[in-house]
Amino acid sequence: MSFFIQHLINGLSLGSLYALIAIGYTMVYGILRLINFAHGDIFMLGAYLVYYGMLWTPLPWWLVFIVAALLTGLFGILLERFAYAPLRNEPRITVLISAIGASFLMENLAILLFGGRPRPFSVPALLDHSVKVGAISFNVIQIVIPVVTAILLAILSFIILKTKTGMAMRALSTDYEAASLMGININRIISMTFFIGSTLAAIGGILYSCRYPQLMPLMGMMPGIKCFIAAVIGGIGNLTGAVVGGLILGMSEILIVGLLPSLNDYRDGFAFVILILILIIKPTGLFGSNVKEKV
Amino acid sequence: MSFKLLKTNKQQVGKHLIGIAIFALLLIVVNFIPFDDYYRKIMNLSFIYVTLGLSLNLINGYTGLFSLGHYGFMAIGAYVVAVLTMSSESKEAIFMIVPCYDWLKNIQMHYLPALLLAGLVSALLGFLISLPVLRLNDDYLAIASMGFAEIILVLIRTQFRITNGALGLKGIPRIDSFWLYGGMALLMIIFMVLLTTSRRGAALEAIREDEIAASAVGINAFSHKVVSFTIGSFWAGVGGGLMATLIGTVNPMQFTFQLTFNILLIVVLGGMGHIWGTVVSAILVTSAMEIMRFLDEPMHFLFIHSDGLPGLRMVVLSALLMIYVIIRATNKKRKNKPALSKKKMEADHA
Amino acid sequence: MLKLENITMRFGGVVAVNNFSMHIENNEIVGLIGPNGAGKTTAFNMVTGVYTPTEGKIIYTPEGKDIDITGMKPEHIADLGICRTFQNIRLFKSMSVLDNVKIAGNLRMKSGWLENVVRSPRYNHERQIIDEKAAKLLEEVGLSEQASDQSTSLPYGKQRRLEIARALATDPKLLLLDEPAAGMNPQETQELMDFIRQIRDRYHLTIFLIEHHMDVVMGICERIYVLDHGNLIANGVPAEIQSNKAVIEAYLGVDNA
Repeated sequence: MSFFIQHLINGLSLGSLYALIAIGYTMVYGILRLINFAHGDIFMLGAYLVYYGMLWTPLPWWLVFIVAALLTGLFGILLERFAYAPLRNEPRITVLISAIGASFLMENLAILLFGGRPRPFSVPALLDHSVKVGAISFNVIQIVIPVVTAILLAILSFIILKTKTGMAMRALSTDYEAASLMGININRIISMTFFIGSTLAAIGGILYSCRYPQLMPLMGMMPGIKCFIAAVIGGIGNLTGAVVGGLILGMSEILIVGLLPSLNDYRDGFAFVILILILIIKPTGLFGSNVKEKV
Repeated sequence: MSFKLLKTNKQQVGKHLIGIAIFALLLIVVNFIPFDDYYRKIMNLSFIYVTLGLSLNLINGYTGLFSLGHYGFMAIGAYVVAVLTMSSESKEAIFMIVPCYDWLKNIQMHYLPALLLAGLVSALLGFLISLPVLRLNDDYLAIASMGFAEIILVLIRTQFRITNGALGLKGIPRIDSFWLYGGMALLMIIFMVLLTTSRRGAALEAIREDEIAASAVGINAFSHKVVSFTIGSFWAGVGGGLMATLIGTVNPMQFTFQLTFNILLIVVLGGMGHIWGTVVSAILVTSAMEIMRFLDEPMHFLFIHSDGLPGLRMVVLSALLMIYVIIRATNKKRKNKPALSKKKMEADHA
Repeated sequence: MLKLENITMRFGGVVAVNNFSMHIENNEIVGLIGPNGAGKTTAFNMVTGVYTPTEGKIIYTPEGKDIDITGMKPEHIADLGICRTFQNIRLFKSMSVLDNVKIAGNLRMKSGWLENVVRSPRYNHERQIIDEKAAKLLEEVGLSEQASDQSTSLPYGKQRRLEIARALATDPKLLLLDEPAAGMNPQETQELMDFIRQIRDRYHLTIFLIEHHMDVVMGICERIYVLDHGNLIANGVPAEIQSNKAVIEAYLGVDNA
């Protein structure tokens, strides 16, 4: 039993991290029908900003966390402006190529600027306690991650359901053409979407680094791909789907490895196997709706 | 052989004949020039990328399937050639952790049948993967094809008794011959010309343009896509195999998404759905990538001193790709403006 | 020739076509009309295999033998001799006018991929037939001069003709035209009507068309079915339809010019 709860905590913490990042994918895809390949690299950027913020500024760690997340959000806006906005009416393949280019550019710029070797991330002492309850042991950060995720989700649902911006976002993702004719300021809403998505990815990156305290320029690649998969599993474009998909992916990864340790070598393959199974069984994901091309 | 085949359809194939002749001539000429090893390697690599670029262009450019899984098929091809051409002595020496399977240990063959087998294995895998993957479109296809490539690599990393795991394989007999790499590129060019100017080849483009209309006139879009994907996988496997014989070593670290990106760069810069654009851009991009390796090395130029900037080369390349894509889009927008409003008027009129 | 038996199509909760039955006899020209959103194109999509009806059967009788084509794949249905045009013209945009028609010739081609690549004698023979047929069809629809132009550079009316030529290249027995006169001026419309009658006679076609131009419908259709909100509200010869009360009501306030 304690074995099970132990894995549940591990899975929940990893799963909520995936969920945070998956939300950014899903929001951008919902509106622009674009896989933001650079999303995983935004995750990496958030972590590095905290690293340098703590190294160079005397600010308290929590302030560094917040400022870094917001700066990364702004970076997301810039990314969209330069790499995606000029291509808005282009075929999707062109935009996808630009997205892949942007991802490679960020990764290699990171190698150039931050150096290729791993850097240690100094986790704030408050988050780095080991707690033992009976036979179960976990780190404070593992509890902080799901809690922070839950709070952010509540804020996000409020924004999307109750504010004007949120309504515009929903309108754009339902019918881009019609919404743009209704006088919605598309550029502003898209920027807002990238800001929110990137900020969440940055928070994800920072929390991830607290859990696995080692920074590398390519650290965003695997989590990035996995979270995209999480978004697809849940039904891309659907927020609930992204959260559920993230949790499913995180949980199953931990549980499979926990129950069958011999499969550890195959760990990075799981996500893809799950993805392919889902796409074959229900190509639009768990919560996705069926959209057929109009003939 | 090919000349007679080509003659039968002059009208379409004709315009490609000059290009084929020039390429063949180039191949003969470079054989007489005593290049040093470094340049020979760059040229052979360029030839391999011609083959790879065209194979990705068939899938992405002609058929409009956004597949990103090329690196997986290349890995398969490279490993097949490696295990089939290595001598049993080197296999014994290399498989240190777990020995190689007995049945595999004693197989050693010439590189040509090995390359053919590499292509066939890769094609078979491509065919099997295409059955589920090609039911998806656009982005889903992109991510699923990438998923399969990653699964292939996970398998390669874990099948120690065939692949030697993360350590990889060394001691693959190296072939240094323009005839092999250039000849294969030429063969691929001729194949692509013949395929894309054929009726079935044209159907691939029709599917790319409008799948619904294509099936309404009786084209089985799915089976055409499967064929295109399988052929592309075949040549990706051959290309991967050629890399193995050129470099002499294979390991899982060589086969990353970066490879697909390089090939994609070639195809996009050369023009989706254009044979000769891909050929030229494969040679230019590969040479540029190799030559730009100096960017990553320590620099001492006038007053600039650096201790090497690993990553700078890729920064330049990816920036180049993005700038190209964006500028092209902006130009097109400017050019199309009047035409667009006219079309809109017609639509309103309707 | 074609029989729809109690066809129903539901999308989620929306019933696009409800319990619709109709039949078309050999060599007839039959019209399907109705206000926007009545389910006309949905009916076409079911006949051509784009959608599978939720309920009901579609029976196609090309040569005295019934074939149940319900839920068949579009390419299979095209192979059996049913071809169509689209309301929102679907040409192969990057291709030339001639190539658009040639593509449809692939359907009757027997050569496989390998024969295509190595240019087998059979392939060369088939290719020649396709080329000649495409050229002939272009001449018939009056597009020979634009054969090498890009298909989307044609004016609207000619794009519609090109779509018909492309459909004819599949050797259909039943031709479905989805708003063939949309976007045409009165003169083009008149020409189109003559053209439809001509091809019917020349190729022994049966024609089933959707149209909003009442001149066209009343001018060339021998029988007419009227859909409204997915339900069949009337059917009969043009004169009956024109005076049918239900039809007039359905169209009331709707611009039916």
